Amino acid sequence: MIEFKQVSKKYPTGQLALYNVNLTLEAGEMVFITGHSGAGKSTLLKLVAMLERPSKGEVLIGGRSLSKLGKSQIPNYRRRIGFIFQDPHLLYDRSVFDNIALPLLISGMGQADIRRRVHAALDKVGMVDKEKTFPLMLSAGEKQRVGIARAMVNKPTIILADEPTGNLDPELSQDIMFTFAQFNELGATVMIASHDHALVDRMKKRTIVLQKVES
Amino acid sequence: MSTPTPTKVSPKRNRSSGANPLGAWFNQQTNAVKFSMERLWFNPLSTWITLAAIAIALSLPTSLHLLLKNLQTLTADKREVPTISLFLKQNVAEQHAKDLAELVSGLPEVENVNVVTKDEALAKFSKITGFAKTLETLTDNPLPNVLVITPRLNLLGDMNLDAEGFSAKLKKYPEVDDVQIDVEWIQRLRAILSIAERIVVVVGVLLGLTVLLVVGNTIRLDIENRKDEIRVTRLIGATNSYIRRPFIYGGIWFGLFGGILSLVIVHLALLFLVKPVGELADLYGSTFTLSGVDVLMTLEILAASSLLGIIGAWLAVGRYLWQDEQAA
Ligand SMILES: Nc1ncnc2c1ncn2[C@@H]1O[C@H](COP(=O)(O)OP(=O)(O)OP(=O)(O)O)[C@@H](O)[C@H]1O
Ligand SMILES: [Mg+2]
Repeated sequence: MIEFKQVSKKYPTGQLALYNVNLTLEAGEMVFITGHSGAGKSTLLKLVAMLERPSKGEVLIGGRSLSKLGKSQIPNYRRRIGFIFQDPHLLYDRSVFDNIALPLLISGMGQADIRRRVHAALDKVGMVDKEKTFPLMLSAGEKQRVGIARAMVNKPTIILADEPTGNLDPELSQDIMFTFAQFNELGATVMIASHDHALVDRMKKRTIVLQKVES
Repeated sequence: MSTPTPTKVSPKRNRSSGANPLGAWFNQQTNAVKFSMERLWFNPLSTWITLAAIAIALSLPTSLHLLLKNLQTLTADKREVPTISLFLKQNVAEQHAKDLAELVSGLPEVENVNVVTKDEALAKFSKITGFAKTLETLTDNPLPNVLVITPRLNLLGDMNLDAEGFSAKLKKYPEVDDVQIDVEWIQRLRAILSIAERIVVVVGVLLGLTVLLVVGNTIRLDIENRKDEIRVTRLIGATNSYIRRPFIYGGIWFGLFGGILSLVIVHLALLFLVKPVGELADLYGSTFTLSGVDVLMTLEILAASSLLGIIGAWLAVGRYLWQDEQAA
């Protein structure tokens, strides 16, 4: 499903973030990416979401190289991906409900379906009572959960989560991980970058450790 | 509640979930309309300044156009149509004059001919001037028979059909002593008006461009303020047209509301002028009244201003999207 072939990523600053990465994920697989800060975990996920492009090698999704994807196909491709950012990137002038509804609105869903789906997603992350709140009034953990709900609401086929539980207490972290596992059981391919070794170990999934590139 | 169920692993899944594509499209539009309306009052001061700038830029050509239209109705007024007076020689008898009138009225340039006999003229003259006594002392009527010719209007409109030529033609009749024409002033006025018409067009185009720039710049600033938001929506799969949509609606609102405001300004200016113009017309014994902006013109102005808003917004967003694409 997701395949990295000799991928290197060098940022315009000259920083080498990834060097010669080879990696294959089966469809419906769930993996954890760990490694020290600066090892390139975020970069790896960004390459899958086409937020960055590899400097060398290629990333294949379903056997197709992302570099062959035309500009006009990128939006459609991204809608199949649920990306949970390390910093949740919420829109601060919209309520929690509107933030989560955004991917559905973008894909052109009707209002009734949107309401139903958003409520289901809010329920998943335990934030039903906050739908009218604005992000500025949320705690860091709550913001993170809104970001998670937004990523899941579109029922993506690929879930990329960058430190999704960084700001959550252990219990909530565990819940969120199980939510990811549930999605995974239903067929989604899941990649999670995490520092939380205890949690990663408990999930008993394949774990990929990135080494920091010495440049 | 229910677990989200990503059953099929298919790129088309999002599409099929929006069961009714028309309804979904409509939903996206209404959302963009609502959102862009709200954005407008996000920063009321800058919105009002933009609207005022647009309204002023639009009201100037509109009022110039109205001024011109009013002057044109003034000169097109049938009662104000200038006449050509044909003074006949003293020895031409009344019946002869009437025959000549018959002949002249057959000419293509002539609308109609009115015969003012020397007796009628004298009677009128004595009534008006109060010289009755003096005139009575005259044994002979010193006034000639006169044919008053109303030329066809196209003679006036058409600059090639010159009045000079026509008057020369009339002068060739042996009975005619003199031709007096008061067509020239109106032809000159028309010429001036047709120049003014072009000036209005030029002013209109320039100020239309101003509206375009004002809207474009406002939308550009709005985009600048919402760069983060655009970036995020792009990350979750927004297309260019999705990103563009609320800004285009924003442009429509600026154009439309600016147009409405400009109509209000023009109406106020007209109200301000109606009374003195009426008084002036009275002094000249005319029933002329100022004509304002009619329904058709209102619609035209609003359509044009909305269109300018759309184009301005389109240019601003287009430039941004293009830059964004270059950067990516
Ligand atoms: N946009 C960028 N421009 C330049 N260098 C970057 C950029 N993003 C990341 N880097 C560099 O690339 C390397 C890998 O960064 P990355 O964010 O992928 O690390 P990470 O494993 O996610 O770290 P963390 O655990 O702290 O989030 C780092 O050395 C970082 O400084
Ligand atoms: Mg990171």
